[in-house]
Amino acid sequence: MTRDAVKAYIAATFGDQMTLLETGRYDPFYRIEPGNLLTLCQKLRDDDRLKFDYLCNLGGTDTGTNFEVVYSLASIAQNHRLDFKFSLPYEGAEVESVQTIWPGANWFEREMWELYGINIRNHGNLKRFLLPDDWNQGHPMRKNWNAPDFIRLPEILA
Amino acid sequence: MKPFPVYAEQLPGGAMIATTLETILYQGQAKSLWYLLFGTACCAIELMATGASRYDFDRLGMFFRASPRQADLIIAAGTITKKMAPRLRRLYDQMAEPRYVIAMGGCTIKGGPFYYDSYAVEKGIDHIVPVDIYIPGCPPRPESLLEGCVHLQEKIKKQKLADKWPKS
Repeated sequence: MTRDAVKAYIAATFGDQMTLLETGRYDPFYRIEPGNLLTLCQKLRDDDRLKFDYLCNLGGTDTGTNFEVVYSLASIAQNHRLDFKFSLPYEGAEVESVQTIWPGANWFEREMWELYGINIRNHGNLKRFLLPDDWNQGHPMRKNWNAPDFIRLPEILA
Repeated sequence: MKPFPVYAEQLPGGAMIATTLETILYQGQAKSLWYLLFGTACCAIELMATGASRYDFDRLGMFFRASPRQADLIIAAGTITKKMAPRLRRLYDQMAEPRYVIAMGGCTIKGGPFYYDSYAVEKGIDHIVPVDIYIPGCPPRPESLLEGCVHLQEKIKKQKLADKWPKS
């Protein structure tokens, strides 16, 4: 399906749960509510016309005021793509694992958990992934993170 | 290069060379520096180019070894992350003495020109292993690497056997 066809279909079918974000010429990008993540993912994968059978990427963002979790989906069968995200507060950030829908989410979720400190419910294998085994300096991708040997990019170059 | 003390004398039925043990030992060490294959980033490409026929590491007596047990030298070519650091230390510990380390490129010297604001990169391998020669560059040209190796040879040749004995 073309991007416009995906947008039109989503607006007709999931219009009450997904809000389209203006991102220009890129793939359709939506904002959802964290509460209906699992049911929505299940529907997106099982829908006959969308068939989002592949989770390309799953990652976090620290906006400076809260966390955002971004999911990138693709359909191998239908050859189209879609992204969606939702916001989480800093305190007690927690998402549900989507491994029951896309098993490949396992490593993405481990990475997000250790770099951002976003807890994953029902993950099953939540342990150290990319950082050194004896790491004890917190979650380095957070904006307010710091460490003794960490040199931040000077403002003049930023 | 300074001539080293060699006294050759033609004897009936053959030749005899007299020299010092120091000369034999350290000339031999300097002219057969076998290095460990340890490339972790783009510096390894320059290391490979130096080992290939155009720059020809072999003429310095330097051959790559795939095992630290057979190597005299680690050329740390490339970024060393904090996760890689214990492995580098283990390889260094597995080498037999005498052993030498060359820090090749900006990443191994001080964390590098691109990774100074990274949480994952070790800011200089001299936090992990003792370094003999630093070769700056990003990555250094093969000429720089060759010059660094010649400096290391000079350093080895300057050693004195007497320094090995305890002064008591």
